[in-house]
Amino acid sequence: MSANSIKLLAGNSHPDLAEKISKVLGVSLSKVGVYQYSNKETSVTIGESIRDEDVYIIQTGTGQQEINDFLMELLIMIHACRTASARRITAVIPNFPYARQDKKDKSRAPITAKLIANLLETAGCDHVITMDLHASQIQGFFHIPVDNLYAEPSVLNYIKTHTDVHNAILVSPDAGGAKRVASIADKLDLNFALIHKERQKANEVSRMVLVGDVRGKSCLLVDDMADTCGTLAKASEVLVDNGAKEVIAVVTHGIFSGSAKEKLRASKLSRIVCTNTVPVDLDLHILDQIDISPTLAEAIRRLHNGESVSYLFTHAPV
Amino acid sequence: MSNIVVFGGNSHPSLVNQICDNLGIKPSEVKLGKFSNGETSISIGESVREKDVYVIQSGCGHVNDNFLELLILLNACKTASASRVTAVMPYFCYSRQPDIPYTAKGAPLISKPKEVYTFESHPGTPLPSVLTTQKPLSHNVPENITECIIESAEELPDGLKQPLPKRLNMDTNLHKSPSQSRIPVVPEREENSSDLGSLFNASNAGYKLWVAQAGTLVANLLTTAGADHVITMDLHDAQFQGFFDIPVDNLYCKPIAQNYIQYNIPDYKEAVLVSPDAGGAKRAASIADALELSFALIHKERRSQLPKGPPNATFTSGGGLPISSHPLLGSSLGRSASHEMSHSSSKYVQTTMLVGDVRNKVCIIVDDLVDTSYTITRAAKLLKDQGASKVYALITHGVFSGDALNRVSQSAIDKIIVTNTVPQEKTIEVLGKDRVQVLNVSRVFGESIRRIHNGESISMLFEHGW
Repeated sequence: MSANSIKLLAGNSHPDLAEKISKVLGVSLSKVGVYQYSNKETSVTIGESIRDEDVYIIQTGTGQQEINDFLMELLIMIHACRTASARRITAVIPNFPYARQDKKDKSRAPITAKLIANLLETAGCDHVITMDLHASQIQGFFHIPVDNLYAEPSVLNYIKTHTDVHNAILVSPDAGGAKRVASIADKLDLNFALIHKERQKANEVSRMVLVGDVRGKSCLLVDDMADTCGTLAKASEVLVDNGAKEVIAVVTHGIFSGSAKEKLRASKLSRIVCTNTVPVDLDLHILDQIDISPTLAEAIRRLHNGESVSYLFTHAPV
Repeated sequence: MSNIVVFGGNSHPSLVNQICDNLGIKPSEVKLGKFSNGETSISIGESVREKDVYVIQSGCGHVNDNFLELLILLNACKTASASRVTAVMPYFCYSRQPDIPYTAKGAPLISKPKEVYTFESHPGTPLPSVLTTQKPLSHNVPENITECIIESAEELPDGLKQPLPKRLNMDTNLHKSPSQSRIPVVPEREENSSDLGSLFNASNAGYKLWVAQAGTLVANLLTTAGADHVITMDLHDAQFQGFFDIPVDNLYCKPIAQNYIQYNIPDYKEAVLVSPDAGGAKRAASIADALELSFALIHKERRSQLPKGPPNATFTSGGGLPISSHPLLGSSLGRSASHEMSHSSSKYVQTTMLVGDVRNKVCIIVDDLVDTSYTITRAAKLLKDQGASKVYALITHGVFSGDALNRVSQSAIDKIIVTNTVPQEKTIEVLGKDRVQVLNVSRVFGESIRRIHNGESISMLFEHGW
């Protein structure tokens, strides 16, 4: 067997992240042409041989208009690599699309996350690398290995270096995120509070109750994603009303769809921090970004060399 | 009709309603929408438990959105305990699988609308009757042949430099070998030489570009989503059925088309059926046979000429066949241009000719799909140049992407007949009611759904018009 090497392929969803990963890994991006025919079908051309290589395809779930296009791009790229005799194909999906449609919460509701998992496998994917899945149970939807990386180590580093960590308290904006927040609070040896919300419809928040004392503290609101930002805006209001000194929101996936920008601007948040799992083009001075490409790059390197990935669950490579 | 549930996707609501009218039922309630982050959201409004479910979605419009919507709908029905789920795709997306990234001129990226179209192939269509026979032009050759040759020398509107066409200078040209004059070199596009240069330049020689063929993938995705059965019409490749592990019913537009020809084209017995390319010859010939009409074929030849020695080529690596330098038309990412490619590696060579006699005849171009409309508009021009009196185009799937409608409206096509597998409201709007005839396929689909639901044979639908 010839020695196989890493081939990095990037879709159109997040060229910036792909470039960063490629720089950290020291592997240049392979030549691929991903375009659209005039009838809006997706066309993929692979410009170099990937026979018997270890292929990593970087494509994230993003774009209010193009999320399905990007998904099809990914599927077609995987399929193209499969038919081009790649040895192993790993989909690197920092933000897993449709992750929130993961349960049959109403009669006949689609479990789209499961469907996406099946589609990826059907296309010929051998391995998935993703980050902060909305529900880690989604890993169980796959029959192939899924490495669910955590942004937590990078977030911890950020909190330690960029915030007033001695006077801070961690706040979970909903009960679902309590575990994630408690884990960070433990590692920083901080207190944590919880906001209980009563939700009536998706993307709509009704009433919020704070559990815990935040008076005079610098509040760190931690969540896995910020979409329309209704939760964050309301939560920051509740916290300020309860005497918080300042409110900083830290999220992994900054999707910021719909009127997120206006909501954030009008909110009481003094800072919003997100990672670069999805491209963000919010022109807000309170926005700060954490670069997680080293984590993804290191995961790719370790996967390629057959080393353990679990080190990355607790450490952020630099 | 008990136990049957029909859902319509977002792509073609009017066809869904017509099919349901034919079935005598109402489309079932389903809410289709999008979450604010762009993810597709669906919500099925009535029980499908142990029902026979049909989901109608055409592969048009925003293809990927519609296709995923279909997959999610199929999957939702399946997980909601439907007894059988059938995907009805009047036009099957991704069914055309080009084997070069972008056919030399066939399916480019969205091209800018232009004021004037010439419908010349690049380069101008040679005139086979003149060139192949090599007879000196006699007096009975219509004058317009010369005109058309001269016209092809004009600069093309999209900035293409027409290669210096061999003007049919009666003295010199006719003594040249036909192969020389018939195989001109397709010009290089300036706008091509963007970042794709690196992808397709000569240093890559030895590796044939691997173009994704999404056909099998799309078939597998449908099966994965839970489709038990697929109904479609006039698949571009009949082999496509073999990609599926589930039954595929490929309906034919032929009976409807035949019907139209018989009842709506005056003196149809004198007409000539024309296939605009070799791939569609069988389709056109079978209609011609059934109606006992004569038949003609337009032959498109595309060869890549081996380069004699591209400046940047390194033939040490493998030394395989060099790849074409310019199969991609433009690119969406406007990165820095690398101009070497436009002069390196091979060149495409294309020639179009008509086999058959169409002089003073009514021509009916038959094709399964019109997308960019390059093929049929060029065919129409060629036919008119060859003396056709009237040109009809009979098309199953009128996708008309990019500026296809503008091209068609300025083309030599006198009337275009198209089915409603894809919404045709815009076609009528642009071309006007007189120039477009939309054939209704909802009866065929309705009847096939009824028959499949009742477990009856559908093969009679292949022969008889509905």
